[in-house]
Amino acid sequence: MSKLLDLLTQNADELAGGLWVTCRLVAGAFAIALVVGTFVAALRIAPSKWLRRLGGIYVETLRNLPLLVLLFISFAGLRRAGVPIGPWTAGIASLGLYTAAYVAEVLRSGVFSVSKGQVEASLSLGFSYAQTLRRIVLPQAFRTVLSPLGSVTIAMIKNSAIVGVSLLALPDLLKEVRIIAARTFETTEAFFWAAVGYLLLTGAATVVFRLLERKFAIRR
Amino acid sequence: MKTMRWRWLTVLVAALALGACGEEKKSATATATTAAPAAAARQFAAGTTMAKLQKEKKITIGVKFDVPPFGFKNPNTGDVEGFDIDIAKAIADELGVTPKYIEALSDNRIQFLKDGTADLILSTMTINAERDQEIDFSEPYFIAKGRILVKNDSGIKGVADLAGKKVCTALGSTYEETLKKQAPKAKLTLVDSYSECLESIQNGSVDAVSTDDVILTGMIIQDDTLKLVGDVLTTEPYGAGIKQGDKEFKAFVDEVIAKFKSDGRWAASYKKWIGQYTKEDQKPPTMTLKEALALSK
Repeated sequence: MSKLLDLLTQNADELAGGLWVTCRLVAGAFAIALVVGTFVAALRIAPSKWLRRLGGIYVETLRNLPLLVLLFISFAGLRRAGVPIGPWTAGIASLGLYTAAYVAEVLRSGVFSVSKGQVEASLSLGFSYAQTLRRIVLPQAFRTVLSPLGSVTIAMIKNSAIVGVSLLALPDLLKEVRIIAARTFETTEAFFWAAVGYLLLTGAATVVFRLLERKFAIRR
Repeated sequence: MKTMRWRWLTVLVAALALGACGEEKKSATATATTAAPAAAARQFAAGTTMAKLQKEKKITIGVKFDVPPFGFKNPNTGDVEGFDIDIAKAIADELGVTPKYIEALSDNRIQFLKDGTADLILSTMTINAERDQEIDFSEPYFIAKGRILVKNDSGIKGVADLAGKKVCTALGSTYEETLKKQAPKAKLTLVDSYSECLESIQNGSVDAVSTDDVILTGMIIQDDTLKLVGDVLTTEPYGAGIKQGDKEFKAFVDEVIAKFKSDGRWAASYKKWIGQYTKEDQKPPTMTLKEALALSK
């Protein structure tokens, strides 16, 4: 037990540094995922067939590639092609764009969860298509997607560890823990603190989404 | 008739898929069992690791898969080859068992010995006092020198020029400490394997790679726009890793290595894997384990 606490106090700087790197990675990627995800979802429900197809290609490409492959292409591939992309940009962009594909699917399913009858009723009552989306469809869709969006966010926090083990070599929580484990040979204790760190982040995300769900819940 | 055709097609596709899987399995086992066990096996006292390995008819050895010329997968045959592998084979032959090679990275190999995933580690591992607390080492079987690898046009001339530069080395290797001491202002990029360091210096995301000269020579063999610069940073005696406290097995491994050094096999293996690239001649190391451990203190 004291061994466990010693490891924490002796390596507090590295562990805190690693947690901070993971936080920044996750925060940046989350922002990109929300913006790009919303945009792609909009494409996927657009009235034009070609726009829908474009959104579909994005989702199917990004979602069907392992994140590690995406990281390798975006970093080593682009650099070899002469684009001087840094590990931070490559890491945040890859994780963000990858998660955006999932966000887009969640949002699309949310929009489709509002029955067609409501849209038809709204249009026949004289609302425009934009008004119908904004006043009838989106408020209801928002409630439906909160829970799956929370799952996607938690998955993204965990996926951030892949960025650290990849070629990008960002000093994230998992990487710092592995450095500590290699130096002290106290593998079990080091990984215990990695688990605690990730649980802190995923736990915080869970609480935030719970609160949002409660705030916007439909009383049934 | 039409449905019949579809059915045949399905069967054909399934057969092809199965065939492909079968093929893969075959090549995987081929990698695992490269050397045929020697005919006449030595007898060992019951209860020793040697007797246990003979009973199981195989020895699991952790080696590098991506570090030419010590341990690497031959792209043509899929077999693991190199200087470390020659020693591994010598040990397996002496036992009369089949060697099974698993990939040991710098940061998991000590764990492999502790939890019994590997019976022996031969993966360019430097003998040092810290590691000696966790595992036992054989007598040194090779002496490497720590060097710096840069691109031909980088302008870096030695360890003093590394300040502010990105330097790649493997997570869990001795170079993390070495670089922190000798180049405190260098930014370290710690990756899992040296092949990732090679990719990083080629794509320009790091400025230098620091590790053992022989590993760096392996990189120059693959890419001649790279070169070694500066003085020798450290002396790195390689030893085989053995589970802590297994005295009989250590004595056995030491004995095989001593024989390997004295009967000409060391020289032949050195010439085959290292000498032909460095054009340098080298004699088997005479450094003892004690001297090797004293180096790191």
